[in-house]
Amino acid sequence: MAERPEDLNLPNAVITRIIKEALPDGVNISKEARSAISRAASVFVLYATSCANNFAMKGKRKTLNASDVLSAMEEMEFQRFITPLKEALEAYRREQKGKKEASEQKKKDKDKKTDSEEQDRSREEENDEDEERLEEEEQNEEEEVDN
Amino acid sequence: MAAAAGSGTPREEEGPGGEVAAPQPQAPTSGPGARLSRLPLARVKALVKADPDVTLAGQEAIFVLARAAELFVETIAKDAYCCAQQGKRKTLQRRDLDNAIEAVDEFAFLEGTLD
Repeated sequence: MAERPEDLNLPNAVITRIIKEALPDGVNISKEARSAISRAASVFVLYATSCANNFAMKGKRKTLNASDVLSAMEEMEFQRFITPLKEALEAYRREQKGKKEASEQKKKDKDKKTDSEEQDRSREEENDEDEERLEEEEQNEEEEVDN
Repeated sequence: MAAAAGSGTPREEEGPGGEVAAPQPQAPTSGPGARLSRLPLARVKALVKADPDVTLAGQEAIFVLARAAELFVETIAKDAYCCAQQGKRKTLQRRDLDNAIEAVDEFAFLEGTLD
């Protein structure tokens, strides 16, 4: 949809809020300055992505990970971001873990309810698996005989 | 594509399982700076994908980039404010930002990109 990457802006409302909280009370920001900061943030993300990608490629990985981004911050001379970013990442991981456990718990509860219905179904599946295993064992025996 | 600001629901194609957390631009959970991320991860992801050299990006990487962008906004706003303060103004202007970019080495990558 966007013609150039720089056109992918971050939401103005959020940018404005971040700026206002960073500055003392009573300080305002002109529309031009705000939109320039917004664009700067997009450029920052693009630049950081490119740097991070270099680290990923060095590691022969195709997926950017968090440490690639942290390495990029170092490269871009934003070392002061690294500690707060690491803390944020840990908090994020804890939150993700909590969410995952919560949804797994929900799933377990759900499974318990429908367990009795599925018991017959699962027994059939087990039989199928047993048959497959038997076939494999027979094949193995044949191979051994050949050897 | 995100339908409204801050409420994107991206399709998670990569990364070790799980879905990208829904952005929560509300009040912090505890103390200042405790909020995890205010920038919507969907928009950050869109920026990352705009890079033709990038194949995939894990959701943690997107999160760290979002948070880094927030820190960047705070930093550049504060640096620009120093210039405005010298002029005894209470409103940050575009020129304050240009001055900050020129003055601070780390912002050199921005030169020529904001016009």
